[in-house]
Amino acid sequence: MAHGDFYFTLNATWYHFSDRWGAPALIEYWQALGREYLQPLARRFETGGPEEVARYWSAYFAAEPRGDVQVTQPDADTVVVDVRVCPAIRWLRESPAAAVHRPPHPMYCQHCRTVTEAMLADTSYRFELEGGDGRCRQVFTREKR
Amino acid sequence: MIGVQDFIGTYDWTFEYLRRRYGAAALREYWARSIAFESQNHAYVLIRDRGLSGMAEYWGHTLDSEQAGYRAHLDADFFRIDMYACPSLGYLLRIGQSCYADYCQHCMGWIKPIMDRCGFVVDHEHNHAGQCWWEMRAADSTPAGDAPPLRGEHDVRHLPGWRQARHDLWLASRLVSRKLT
Repeated sequence: MAHGDFYFTLNATWYHFSDRWGAPALIEYWQALGREYLQPLARRFETGGPEEVARYWSAYFAAEPRGDVQVTQPDADTVVVDVRVCPAIRWLRESPAAAVHRPPHPMYCQHCRTVTEAMLADTSYRFELEGGDGRCRQVFTREKR
Repeated sequence: MIGVQDFIGTYDWTFEYLRRRYGAAALREYWARSIAFESQNHAYVLIRDRGLSGMAEYWGHTLDSEQAGYRAHLDADFFRIDMYACPSLGYLLRIGQSCYADYCQHCMGWIKPIMDRCGFVVDHEHNHAGQCWWEMRAADSTPAGDAPPLRGEHDVRHLPGWRQARHDLWLASRLVSRKLT
């Protein structure tokens, strides 16, 4: 299990961009992260199909500390990631060191949408996200091209 | 979601993004400001309030959690770490990633500002292969002048693989040499 204190580093990084250069710079950074760094993952999803998307997120959230996430595949083209308790938001609010850190960045939850949309821009997937603030529902849908 | 299990890869990529988008000074500012006193504020508070024993508590807890191969030693006058297998650089080496060319630099990038503010100086050397040593001591202690002597059998400098790649050496928190061995 990875050390949850790295969530403080992610949160501090989001604040760094927005404090130093404004919210558009933070969004630009997230878009670059998805478009560039996460392209191998996008290719993996494209090649492996929704089964690979489901496998990836199941394993991913199982390895994040203190979350409660269920991944399902209601049909052949759809994967639903039901984030009942977001591990990041929980750690930032409830971990022992939370008292000496800034609260979750006001845009924290936007990174999931922005990074993932940028990552999937050139794939056959559509990504939707509802909710936030520690609980959300993410849907990956493979569309016919 | 960007999580913590593969955080090191994102961290490395972010260093290079900051460098190419905003310049090297902006990357150093990120480490010195937002990593030192926001991300690692729990370390800063411990070291500010409890000095050398605060360092022992912080690094003991953190490096144990990261399953690092290391040894820490708290002396009356200094706190020392010998790192035999850095979990952070080790992860990047395992996956073959090197987005930012000088990943190891980030540790001094955030640790030195904390030590500066808390009244300590750092002697440190790393070999860019996942091995390094650190000694933190009071800023008003006797200047080392040179790297400290070997500190017993656990000193990382005894390892056969220690002398490889490029070595960067800091004494009293100043970079004094970067050399190929």
